[in-house]
Amino acid sequence: MTFPLLSLIVFLPAVGAAVLMCLRNDDAVRWTALGFTVVDLALTIAMLAAFDTTTHEMQFTERRPWVPAIGITYALGVDGISALFVFLTALLGWISVLASWVAIDRKVKEFMVALLLMQALMLGVFSAMDLFLFYVCWEAMLIPMYLIIGVWGGDGRVYAAFKFFLYTLAGSLLFLIGVIVLYFHGGETFDILALTAQDLPFDVQSWLFFAFLIAFAVKVPMVPVHTWLPDAHVQAPTAGSIILAGVLLKMGAYGFLRFSLPMLPEASVYYSTLMLALSALAIVYGGLLALAQDDLKKLVAYSSISHMGFVTMGIFALNLRGLEGGILQMFNHGVTTGALFLFVGVIYERTHTRSIADYGGLMKVAPVYTGFLALFTLSSMALPGTNSFVGELLVLSGGFGANMAVGTAAVVGALLSAAYLLGMYRKVALGPASVGARYQIRDVNAREMAAILPLAIFVLWVGLYPKPFLNVIDASVKHLLIEVDGKGSGQ
Amino acid sequence: MTAAVLFQWMLASLPEVIVITGACILLILGQLIRQDQEQLLVWASVAVVLMAAVATLMLAGEVRPAYSGMFVADRFSVFFKFVFYLATVLTFLLSRKYADIEGIGSSEYYVMLLFALSGMMIMASATDLLSIYVGLELMVLCTYVLTGFLRHERRSNEAALKYVILGAVSTGIFLYGVSLVYGLTGTTQLDAMAAAVSGDPLDPGLLLAVVFIVAGLVFKVGAVPFHMWVPDVYEGAPTTVTAFMSVGPKAAGFAVILRVFLNPLVAGSDVWIIVAVIAVVTAALGSFVALVQDNFKRLLAYSSIAHAGFATFGVVAGGADGIASVMLYLLIYAFMNLGIFGAVIMMRNGDFSGEVIEDYAGFAKSHPGLALLMLIYLFSLAGIPPTAGFFAKFYVLTALVERGFVLLAVVAVLLSAVAAYFYIRIVMVIYMREPERAFEPALTPLVRATLACTAAGTIGIGLFPGWFLKLAQESVFGG
Repeated sequence: MTFPLLSLIVFLPAVGAAVLMCLRNDDAVRWTALGFTVVDLALTIAMLAAFDTTTHEMQFTERRPWVPAIGITYALGVDGISALFVFLTALLGWISVLASWVAIDRKVKEFMVALLLMQALMLGVFSAMDLFLFYVCWEAMLIPMYLIIGVWGGDGRVYAAFKFFLYTLAGSLLFLIGVIVLYFHGGETFDILALTAQDLPFDVQSWLFFAFLIAFAVKVPMVPVHTWLPDAHVQAPTAGSIILAGVLLKMGAYGFLRFSLPMLPEASVYYSTLMLALSALAIVYGGLLALAQDDLKKLVAYSSISHMGFVTMGIFALNLRGLEGGILQMFNHGVTTGALFLFVGVIYERTHTRSIADYGGLMKVAPVYTGFLALFTLSSMALPGTNSFVGELLVLSGGFGANMAVGTAAVVGALLSAAYLLGMYRKVALGPASVGARYQIRDVNAREMAAILPLAIFVLWVGLYPKPFLNVIDASVKHLLIEVDGKGSGQ
Repeated sequence: MTAAVLFQWMLASLPEVIVITGACILLILGQLIRQDQEQLLVWASVAVVLMAAVATLMLAGEVRPAYSGMFVADRFSVFFKFVFYLATVLTFLLSRKYADIEGIGSSEYYVMLLFALSGMMIMASATDLLSIYVGLELMVLCTYVLTGFLRHERRSNEAALKYVILGAVSTGIFLYGVSLVYGLTGTTQLDAMAAAVSGDPLDPGLLLAVVFIVAGLVFKVGAVPFHMWVPDVYEGAPTTVTAFMSVGPKAAGFAVILRVFLNPLVAGSDVWIIVAVIAVVTAALGSFVALVQDNFKRLLAYSSIAHAGFATFGVVAGGADGIASVMLYLLIYAFMNLGIFGAVIMMRNGDFSGEVIEDYAGFAKSHPGLALLMLIYLFSLAGIPPTAGFFAKFYVLTALVERGFVLLAVVAVLLSAVAAYFYIRIVMVIYMREPERAFEPALTPLVRATLACTAAGTIGIGLFPGWFLKLAQESVFGG
């Protein structure tokens, strides 16, 4: 048995949560939480350093019997796709801790415990190789997230927490039935690799595709099941928003990549036009909604719906550029939107307003803040040189390859994103300084800088030299395409 | 009949003998001890149950039929007996302080619980409709009395009266079904019944008989359309008795239902359609009506109806996995439901009743540890992993899908999503409201021990369900 690095990465935050329970001092809690998340990130980087990018096989695998009577195992492993998201989760983990350093001033310990448990479960989702384990992590996440939104959220937090909980629960329960059906069709095993190797009849694939689609579409979220997202985002504390946008939304898309495509290839090919249409709808509709928002957080939330539309479009273009672009865009969205929520949080801590109309001329009082805000805003609208440009370009070329009309709609969406993001930036940062009169605004401090800088580095790194990132996913994506084409070309 | 045979029969029913003897001794002991020695009664009762548990464990090795085919000590009954022991012991532990507060700490209270326990044990082991009837009556007569134990409270009296009248009618219906079976087949033994009608299982007379028996049994587990008594009785009875009734007698009812329904006679007929309808309607009614409850005990009553419906889905599935899923469900339900009732019981202190959900507003602020425990129980009842409640539901669903009832499984999960709403509504009240008044829960070491035990069960089985699953699977009779 080799060293169980993945288990360590997954369980370290949970251990941290247990340690936090014993602490009494709020500052000790903050530093300990930070310590555990930073060590976790370091371990993830160590894993990436040892990661073999030439193969699509699962690496760092671990396997132990869990419930042998019905074939459930505790099995972990990462391929290129999951490795990228394990890294993203670990990266955003400690940034979330920093983002809630002063924003969370009551029940700090409970908050950090929930945050670390969240972290452990999210890492579990991305590294599970057993469908049952995946489902347990996927669903268990509802508990800490419900509390994070409901206890530490804004004024409408109770409603938002309920909506989040019930939407996601209802979606994933049908997924559960799908999992059990898959279990019996796939030879009574929950092993993801063994299930992927199965050839299911088309009608079974169709049913499962829709059972899975409901669960994943709620998480992504795709129009028309997106309505929980703006509420949850607006009410959640900053760290909650970062995790929601940065990691949780990725899980839906990850579900498509890990289950729908390889396990149900014929159905995926057959319904890809439908999925492309839904993606195009999300891109344009999300963009239009974002255009009409006055609340900063709502704007970023609706822009998330639009950007996640690009992701699902890339995935269901079912060609190499589309898939690689979609996956890269998932990573980019995590970094950029996570940063934007962080920025909204930073300014909200100073002014206690999120209404765009209240701001103006921020550049004069907080030049560093507005400078970085410009970087992330431009990244979000996919300016060349930033990370999203690479991702969106790949997605668009994949999308046009799959369907002209959908590609065109996506271009419209890209234009819309320039409109609402630049409009937002103009109103907030430029013009006469209206906020300064009412609030004493300090520029970003060292703690905030520590959270922002790494994200800024990734924006430029992926934007200027995306090769290492594409390398990590390349082998896995190619293998995924072979599986879809090999089995799905029968259609 | 030789002495040796009689001895073998006695041996097979040793746990029952111990419990009944112990109850009789306690009845006398209760009159002898002084007022301030009631602690002794609790420990003596616990000791009786533990002795029975040891006896059960020692006899668990082989199948022992006894009393001319009326009784059997097999692994199936052993599993259920341990669920009963668990429920009874935890009820004893919870009762001590609560009985003081409510002024019901007399020895009869403990004796009645022990007799109810023996009735349940007989039910789990019975293989003849008549011995089932004897166990059933022994159990329900005790619960009638326990329900009315708060003599000075109208609600308690009303509940007891309702329970007695409705219970008597349902027992009558059950007996009528038994007499029809006897008239048609000439026997009341479950095995012999099946053999007697191997020709045509769809005889309308037999179907009628089966429907009557189903009606009588379904009343005991509180499934629709025989659920009307549940909310009133649960609300009126002393909370400790409610906790006991929601777990023990319900499990006993399911033990009998499993034995009767999975008898080839019943399994061969189309009665499963009736059972499926009962399951769906029960889960639906329990989940939807619970949405609008303000009283915690009433809400838990409807929640227990919903859970009975979910367990009935396992009966519909049938087969080894179906039976095992019901058994595992009941075991897990015992842990989480006794846990949440333990929390409600602990809230009863001074002039504070803890019966209204609003009473729990801001509980997390004043008592974070206890609030966390309640959170665990509630999420487990809602069936969210990694708690045991999830695995219980998961296994029932697996059994359903295995038998091809995919549509029923979809209905079951959608209803459990509805049910999740009212559980997390309580979590919301606990965590997201401001406390309205200060109060001190009645936390004795015994209550603490109960809460610790149930929490360990709820989390432990959730994280490591393997061993318990294997136990349930191996305890399925005939498979």
